Amino acid sequence: MTVAKRYEAVSAGWRLRKLIVDFGVYMALGILLLASWLLTPKLYEVDTIAVVMRQAAQLGIVAIGQTMILLVAGLDLSVGGVIVLTSVIVAEVSNGRDEMLLPAILIALGFGALVGLGNGLLVTKRRVPPFVATLGMLVLVQGATQAYTRGVPGGFVPQALDAVNHSWGFLSIPLVLWLGLNAVFIFVLRGTAYGRRVYAVGSNIEAARLSGLSVDAVRISIYVLGSCLVVISGVVLTGYVGYVDRFIATGLELDSIAAAVVGGTAFVGGRGGLLGTIAGVLIIQILGTVAVLMGLDIEVQFIIKGLVILAAVTLYSVASVES
Amino acid sequence: MMKKLLYGILALSLLLAVTAVVFGQDEGAAESEFTEEQIAASPYLQSMLARLDETYDTSEFAKEGPYRIAFAAQGTSNAWSALMDAHAYWYVEELGEDVISELLYGDARGKADIQVPQVEDLLAQEPDALIIVPMGAAALSAPVERAMMQGVPVVLCASAVETDNFVTEVGTNLFAAGASLAQWLVDAVDSEEGPAKILMMTGVPGVTTSVVMEEGAMTVFGANADAVEILDNQPGNWSPAEGKRLMETWLVQHGDEIDGIWSGGAQMTQGIISAYLDAGLDIPPIGGGEWQNGFLRLAIENDVSYAAWQYPNAMITLCIDTAIQILQGEPTARFIDFVGRIPNSEPFTDAEGESYFRPEWSDDVHGPITMPDEKLAELGFLVTD
Repeated sequence: MTVAKRYEAVSAGWRLRKLIVDFGVYMALGILLLASWLLTPKLYEVDTIAVVMRQAAQLGIVAIGQTMILLVAGLDLSVGGVIVLTSVIVAEVSNGRDEMLLPAILIALGFGALVGLGNGLLVTKRRVPPFVATLGMLVLVQGATQAYTRGVPGGFVPQALDAVNHSWGFLSIPLVLWLGLNAVFIFVLRGTAYGRRVYAVGSNIEAARLSGLSVDAVRISIYVLGSCLVVISGVVLTGYVGYVDRFIATGLELDSIAAAVVGGTAFVGGRGGLLGTIAGVLIIQILGTVAVLMGLDIEVQFIIKGLVILAAVTLYSVASVES
Repeated sequence: MMKKLLYGILALSLLLAVTAVVFGQDEGAAESEFTEEQIAASPYLQSMLARLDETYDTSEFAKEGPYRIAFAAQGTSNAWSALMDAHAYWYVEELGEDVISELLYGDARGKADIQVPQVEDLLAQEPDALIIVPMGAAALSAPVERAMMQGVPVVLCASAVETDNFVTEVGTNLFAAGASLAQWLVDAVDSEEGPAKILMMTGVPGVTTSVVMEEGAMTVFGANADAVEILDNQPGNWSPAEGKRLMETWLVQHGDEIDGIWSGGAQMTQGIISAYLDAGLDIPPIGGGEWQNGFLRLAIENDVSYAAWQYPNAMITLCIDTAIQILQGEPTARFIDFVGRIPNSEPFTDAEGESYFRPEWSDDVHGPITMPDEKLAELGFLVTD
């Protein structure tokens, strides 16, 4: 083989891997949509799309924060605790009064920001690994919530929050909120100096530090933003369920990580983005919906979900290392 | 002499015959509720039915009071267990210090991994008896066995373990509960024009309560295959959010062809009702409510046709009575059904629903409540305005 031919072969392989890294998740979503069209055409009816989108938005809002935290090589396991805390605050502070909804949300955002700040300080100033720091924070928040409520969350959810349950065609408030927040944070990440700092810190923290970036400030701010987004998701979920429930957020922390990773955001930071996460969220949501539409057993659903996550992680790691 | 012997033999035969008839009737009554297929299909039913006829000789545990009783509780995890704890403290106070001098309390926060070492800590304080709400059938088997080996009699309260080495279990027949909800649904749906189409929403996969209730329901649906057709069977994980998500997907899939729903818990049923309300569709009969005030409010407001079973947190009072009975050396049945012993703990339907609903209770109260209202108020369970 001549040098030119060898170069051509290597170049073709590199392009394929680059294609996988950059567009793999969209191709996977396309294949899933095509397969769903063949297996369960019901998925394409307006009512089904509305349900899929409304449910995807609940996960999607959490996944925005999780993606940004992953971009700075972090992780947030305190998601479930913050959502339940939000639910408790909304019900306790408003006690069913619509006029108290906004103050309740603002208070919840304040507590969410505090949790994020705690996570950020532990990770940056005390150098606690993100897994341990946010897991500890999860236990702390759960414990504090239980101590405050004595295991019995009181109060009522304001009627105004029922709005999150209405759809106009396939549009709903959670979907609009999800898309709007995505638009804002895609702009922040791609079009602002702050966004470039986020990627710089995630790509190489030491290089970013030596370049004069305030690395800790960027990481702490991302944890605070992430927790505030979790609070917004908590408000949506509280309206969705209609009352305070301890299991309201079961599985959301791991699903949000899975959505970001399937969407191409790297665990090591610095690589990925919110467009990929949108596709990742849709893949996870559509898989779940299609599984129910097809009447698959729960064991099969778990196996499929696990295989998709494993396949995505394997594909990305192989492709990115080689390219 | 011969005459006396003859009379003696006749009297003995008569006594044996009467005994056989009495015990034979008891056994028949216990087993006649279930078919051989049902019993063969359910290890839970086999174990429970076997213990139904057993009595534990508790003389080895007999001692003078007052007693120190350990309570390994589910703990601060939800309103159901908070009310169980409140019932426990109130009842011990009612009994007085001359009966129970100390209630040693362990808060498992609803988790088996927390409860396992906690039981060890409780046993280290050498209680006279252990009442436990097991958070995992397999995980808590060894701690329960260790307690018995240590000479501490164990009362299982509201849930079971995998070992048979305990004194007694207080609860109810979960298999029968699942089956009765299913039978109500079979009777409630219209199957004149072919089998009625139903959906099944179960609790957490693999958890004993959920699995056994589902087993009970499936035997009824299996026996009535000409009357009902199961469109789908999925877990809602005892979560209103997950129950609602699942029901929304079912509604877009099956819409108004759904004739009835079997549900393994009131939290999920609330999610089901909420999904129907959002979709603006008529709510079909639901076999799967409980005496939970929020569920009852939603069901009454929306005129839902339902059947409910009960799992009262007040059963802890019966568990405490049982522990005292054991420590007094009285023979104790190895399975104690709370139905009939805890007031108003019988299954009910929407026809009686309004008589169970309490407007002064908050939505998360699970009835029946046997302690006074002041205790509920202290816990914040009474609606104040």
